Amino acid sequence: MNVKQFVSLVHVQARMGLKAEASKLILSYFWWILEPLLYVVIFYLVFAYFLERGGPNYLFFLMCGKIPLLWFTKSVSKGSNSLIQNKGLIGLMDAPKTLFPYISVQEGVYRQWAVFWVLLCLAIAYDSYPDSLWWLLLPLVVSEYLFIIACTLLGAWLVSYARDVSKLIGMFMVFMLFASGVFWDINDIPDPWLREALLNYNPMAFYLDSFRAILMRDEVYDMFHLAWLSGLLVVVIAALHVLYHYDSRNIALRVVIR
Amino acid sequence: MSQDILIKANRVGFTYKSRVGFFKYFKHQALSGVSFELKRGDKLAILGRNGSGKSTLMQILAGIIPPTHGSLEVSAGVKRSLLTLGLGFRKDLTGRDNALLSAMLQGYSRSEALSHMDEIKEFSMLKDFFERPIFTYSSGMRSRLGFATALYTGIDVLLLDEALAVGDATFKKRAREAMNEKLGGNQSLIFVSHSASEVSKFCDTALWLEKGFICASGSVRDVAAQYKVAPAKPMAAPGVGKGMPKA
Repeated sequence: MNVKQFVSLVHVQARMGLKAEASKLILSYFWWILEPLLYVVIFYLVFAYFLERGGPNYLFFLMCGKIPLLWFTKSVSKGSNSLIQNKGLIGLMDAPKTLFPYISVQEGVYRQWAVFWVLLCLAIAYDSYPDSLWWLLLPLVVSEYLFIIACTLLGAWLVSYARDVSKLIGMFMVFMLFASGVFWDINDIPDPWLREALLNYNPMAFYLDSFRAILMRDEVYDMFHLAWLSGLLVVVIAALHVLYHYDSRNIALRVVIR
Repeated sequence: MSQDILIKANRVGFTYKSRVGFFKYFKHQALSGVSFELKRGDKLAILGRNGSGKSTLMQILAGIIPPTHGSLEVSAGVKRSLLTLGLGFRKDLTGRDNALLSAMLQGYSRSEALSHMDEIKEFSMLKDFFERPIFTYSSGMRSRLGFATALYTGIDVLLLDEALAVGDATFKKRAREAMNEKLGGNQSLIFVSHSASEVSKFCDTALWLEKGFICASGSVRDVAAQYKVAPAKPMAAPGVGKGMPKA
């Protein structure tokens, strides 16, 4: 299977998967937008009303954090189980095993683009009008996409070894929710060393703060850090592809037999 | 390896290892010392009862799992497809979508795969069900869809695992005719079944597997005759099947 066939198959299967999923729900594709919005409303109720935290534009602040994080958590959680869930197909043909995590990630991408449009519309509603700075959202989204691919490929490979890992991935997602600054501002951390460490070593914290820098603060994020991070992710993804290639039949053995 | 030989199994064995406790494993030898060669155009039957290792051997031959003992040599560029009952389909997708995905997984481009959809729909005799999700299908309908999809994707070695066990008489007759037509060329076939009479219609040579060992091998008529009358007994030691044609 060449790269063109691989990409075409990922695209077709992701679209079919979404179509099948939507056909089971009464509100169909509307859930793509409704689900993240409901999450944001819940967070807003808890933090703004019950705990009386947050300041002006707190709803928009939450959306800039929760929407990119939800893309990451849902894609990685679902994609990490993709090899196990496709064991019927894996037991039937010697297909490239990277196919299944990629299909799952791509389903998340197609779901997410609609949600990002809602986020941008809301930005306009909060007096943040489109300008040349908004073009910087594009490399940010691409870098987060690379981060999702790397985590999903690694997660799916580890889950093929021991299903227990999927439980640890669930816990990791909770950690990311609390450590990435979804409902609090990472710039409010008084200790500069801790603030820098979070931004440097937790890619999600960096992405969320960068979304807010552009959409809320009209600032440019650290482009050098983004370039460095994206380059590292490309190397990690390439290494994972090599791992999947050489371990392909053993993955099938672990998934189908054990 | 000679160009005519597509697949060569050298004392292939397989041991299942399943975890039954924290550090406890259960081991089961499903295959042992299986050797044979498949040339271009050969039609080989693998006969055996439940638990004889037939399906494990097919998964190894299809390149899905590696053997734990011995080796499997496959000529470069040989396309193999394993057709088995019902597995591999996404139940929430329609028959058309599943057929399209199966063809694309075999290496077809989207447009090439789409061009075969009407033929697959017609051959599978699914009519309007072709546009409905697989979970509404009977096992016979799933088998028909799988068979029709495999038949219209150009492959060198067709691996059939009990694929004709389900389906009504009309479809079975049609499938046999289509297979005979297609198998007249250079396509090779490995047909797994527990039914000696079923494999006799398509195959020239046969292997009889019992508890992972080769009990007999040779012409399909001789092996089928032994298989029908003899009670299941494994050979004393694993080895190459007697009388198996070699290159």
